Amino acid sequence: MMDQAISTPGRALLSTVGERGFRLERIFNAKRERVWRAMTEPELIAQWWGRGNRLVIERFEFERGGHWRFVEHSDHGVHGFEGRYREIVPVERIVSSFEWDGMPAHVAIQTMTLEQLADGRTKLISSALFHTAAERDGMMHSGMEGGANLSYEALDRVLAALG
Amino acid sequence: MVQCSASLDGTFGALSDQTRRGILERLGRGEASITELADKFAMTLTGMKKHVSILEDAGLLTTEKVGRVRSCKLGPRRLQDEAAWINAYQQMLNEQFDHLEAFLERTKGNE
Repeated sequence: MMDQAISTPGRALLSTVGERGFRLERIFNAKRERVWRAMTEPELIAQWWGRGNRLVIERFEFERGGHWRFVEHSDHGVHGFEGRYREIVPVERIVSSFEWDGMPAHVAIQTMTLEQLADGRTKLISSALFHTAAERDGMMHSGMEGGANLSYEALDRVLAALG
Repeated sequence: MVQCSASLDGTFGALSDQTRRGILERLGRGEASITELADKFAMTLTGMKKHVSILEDAGLLTTEKVGRVRSCKLGPRRLQDEAAWINAYQQMLNEQFDHLEAFLERTKGNE
């Protein structure tokens, strides 16, 4: 069940799902097979996953139960992220756990789903499930205050439209 | 984008220290002076000032001088520990998708 949905031009659509999740949607101007390759081939992953920082792929066991561990190296420091794959459906879906070294055992379950659109573009739906609603709500509120994706004004408009 | 990355690195950096996470947790319950924080975490005033300044740079707390006391409270982002982490995670996804988009654009027609 979607509680809120706020569209931000040119960026992602962010919404909360149920009590403990959020989801981000994004449309890429590429066919699904290309997006899948970019997300599943280490030499391609290294070119975008680190957000401009150097990325070292320490582990990449791309199979059910396999570990992944990616480490970003930037001027500000080194940040490691890791998890295990729960489910892989080729060209369609990857479900994995996600942890950051700085907050050990704060685990999110993330699902990446790719949908081929009729116009040749691909919709990526990224959802994350957290362990408590408080964690999720903290994220939503901080997102709004930070203005990264949301604003109170936009929320007000959506809520007003919902009546 | 660059600014966004810097702030995200700032958030990760700020949160990567247990004392700093403790400070945010403490401030979630109300304001405290640097002296009070130093006492609580059994640190020197200088050591605590350093932690406070890192958190302040990341926008996670603000300080205000009232008389001779510097008081700290949660910053404009009003994030505590876990909430800050989730926020950083969501920002990170958005930034990754920006870079994925750019990657797909620049490799167009390569296959």
